[in-house]
Amino acid sequence: MKKIVLVLAACMLAASEMSAQQLTGRDVIQKVKDRPDGDTRYGEMELTLKKKNGSTRQRKVTSWAMDEGKDTKKMMFFTYPGDVKGTGFLTWDYDQIGKEDAKWLYLPAMKKTRRISGSSSKTDYFMGTDFTYDDMGQRHVDEDKHKLLREETRNGHKCWVVESVPVDKHEIYSRKVTWIRQDCLIADHVEYYDKLNKLHRVLDIQDVKKIQGFWTIQKMEMKNVQTEHSTTIVVKNSQYNVKVDKALFTVAKLEKGL
Amino acid sequence: MRFVTIIALLWCAIPRSVLAQDEDSLRIDVKGFVDTYHAVRTESPNDWMSSRSRVRGEVTLEKGHAGAFVSANLIYNAILKDRTGLQLREAYAYYSDDHWDVRAGRQIITWGVADALRLTDIISPMDYTEFLAQDYDDIRIPVGGLRLRYSREKWNLEAVAIPVSSFFDLPTDDKNPWSVGQIPIGNEPKHKAYNMEYGGRLSFFLSGIDFSFSALHTWNKQPVLCNGVGEYHRMTMLGADMSVPVGKFVVRSEVAEYLDELQIGGSRAASTYALLGLDWYAGNDWTLSAQYAHKYVAQGEHRNTGLSTLRISKDLLHNTLALQTFAYIDVTNGSVFNRLSADYALNDQLHAILGYDYFHADSGMFAIYKKNSELWVKLKYSF
Repeated sequence: MKKIVLVLAACMLAASEMSAQQLTGRDVIQKVKDRPDGDTRYGEMELTLKKKNGSTRQRKVTSWAMDEGKDTKKMMFFTYPGDVKGTGFLTWDYDQIGKEDAKWLYLPAMKKTRRISGSSSKTDYFMGTDFTYDDMGQRHVDEDKHKLLREETRNGHKCWVVESVPVDKHEIYSRKVTWIRQDCLIADHVEYYDKLNKLHRVLDIQDVKKIQGFWTIQKMEMKNVQTEHSTTIVVKNSQYNVKVDKALFTVAKLEKGL
Repeated sequence: MRFVTIIALLWCAIPRSVLAQDEDSLRIDVKGFVDTYHAVRTESPNDWMSSRSRVRGEVTLEKGHAGAFVSANLIYNAILKDRTGLQLREAYAYYSDDHWDVRAGRQIITWGVADALRLTDIISPMDYTEFLAQDYDDIRIPVGGLRLRYSREKWNLEAVAIPVSSFFDLPTDDKNPWSVGQIPIGNEPKHKAYNMEYGGRLSFFLSGIDFSFSALHTWNKQPVLCNGVGEYHRMTMLGADMSVPVGKFVVRSEVAEYLDELQIGGSRAASTYALLGLDWYAGNDWTLSAQYAHKYVAQGEHRNTGLSTLRISKDLLHNTLALQTFAYIDVTNGSVFNRLSADYALNDQLHAILGYDYFHADSGMFAIYKKNSELWVKLKYSF
C-alpha cells in the first residue's frame, strides 16, 4: 500500500513539474487574477504622497467591492483631506474586453453626480499619486501580452518573473516586468518602463498577510524613479465576504455618502 | 433654530475624525472649512468688490437608518454688512435604507446634467448677491420640502413636494458693486398649500447611458419684470436629460419645456430649452467641457437666445496645483464672463487660490457688469 502511495505521489509530482514547465506568462497572470478574494470586500486605505524633498501629503479612502460573475462593482469615498471628504466614485468594472466600464463621480459641494468617461482615466494618475487608476484596479488579462521570463527567488520568496507588453500602444508604459510570489500569487516587485524603454516606476509590495484566509496586501510603495516622487499605500481594516447588498453600488447610495 | 445652528458650528470647531461605529451606535461626522475671500476691481475706481470671511460647518448625526444633517455659515462681510452673521444653509432629517431615501427639511435639490446652467435644475434657486463671481456651490439656495426617493440597481424614482419655496436673491442694494439697480420686487407667493411646488424625476443608470425624465409644477423663481415690478407666477416644467460616455468623451444633453412661463411685460408663453454638452477627459489630468444652451420663446420679438460655456482644467504637480478657466459666453450678444483660477495646495488642509474674473460685454446679460472685472484671492482651510 505504502509503495502504491509513493508511486502515485511521484506521478503527481512529475505531472505538476510538467505543468509548471508548460506554464505561460498568461497562465501566471490569469492565476493572479483568479486568486481568491471573497465575493465582497471592504478596506480603508491611507495614501501618502512623498516629494523628492521629503514633504508629504495624505489622502484616505474607504471602499467596498462586490463581484457579480466576472464583473466587479466598486464604491469608494474620500475621508481625508477635508476639501475632498465625501467625494465618491462608483465603478462598474466589466470583464469583457471592449466594453467600457461605467463610472460616476459624486461631488458633495455641488450635490451632483457626473457620469464620467469609463476609459480615459485608466492611464491617469489616481488623485495625484504615483498609481494610475489602472494600477488601483485590475487589468483584463488580455490587455497585455505576457511572457514568462524565468523563475527566481526574491526577498526569500520563490517568484515567477513575467514581462507584460500592453496591446494598446497608448498605455503609459511600454512594458512591465512583474515578480509574482508563487506562495500567494501576489506581486512582490513590479518595474514599469516608459515609451523609451527607460525604467519609469517601481512598485514594491512590502507587507502581505492572510486575512480571513485570503492573502491581502497591507503596504506597498510606488516610486517614480525619474522624478523620485513616491506614494505609499497602507491598507487597514481589510474584510472579506462582508454583508453588503448590491443596492450599495448605486448612484442613489453614491449621493447618500458614507 | 439659531441656537441649534450655533451649537452645530461650535461642534464643528472641534476637529475630529469620523466616529464610525457599528450600525446601531450614533455616528457623528463633522466637516467644514474656514475661508477668506477678497476681490478688487481691476478697472477704475479699483475699489473692493468683495471682502468676506466665514466658517462653514457641516454636521451629520446618524443612527441606524435615520439621521440629520445641518450645514451653516458664520460670515463676516466687510462690503455687504447685512450679509454678516449666521446663515443656515441646509437642515434636514433623513431616513435611508437599501431602497428608500426620505429627506425632510431645508435642502438643496439638484436635477439634470448641465454644468452651471439651469434647464431642469430649477428647484433650488440662485443667490446672485455677487452674481456668478462665487463658487457655484455657494450660489444654490436651499428649499424647504420633502424629497422621497425609491432606488433600484439601475433606476430610481424621486418625488418632491416643496411647501416653502425659495426664490432668487438679487442684488438690488446700490452699495453692492454687483447691484442690478433698485428693482421693486412683488410679493413672493404665500406659504399656502395651494402654492406648493411638486414634481418627480425618473432616472436610469445603465452601462452605456444615463437618462431621466422630470416634471415640476413650480414658479418662475427669478422675478420677471411686469410693468416695472418683478413678479412670480406658476409654471410647469417638463424635462429630460441624458449622459452617454463614448471613449474619452461624455456627451450630455438636456431639454426642458416651461409651460405657461411668465414673460417680460406680463404675458404667458411656453419656452423651450435645449442643451448639448461635451466633456473630454483628455488624459494627463486635462479636462475640457463645452456646452451650448438654446432658448426659444413662443412669442415676442427676441424669440431665440443662446448661451454657451467652456471649461478647461488641468492638474499639475501631483494635484498640488489646479488651473481652471470657466467661461459663460452670451452667444446672442457676443459677451463673455470668464472666471480663471489657480488653486495651490499649501498642505493637506490649506489652499491658496488666485483668480481673475473677466467681463467683456457691450450688450446682453453681462453688459451691466462690463466694468466689474476683478482680481481675487482666497485662502481656504478645510477640516
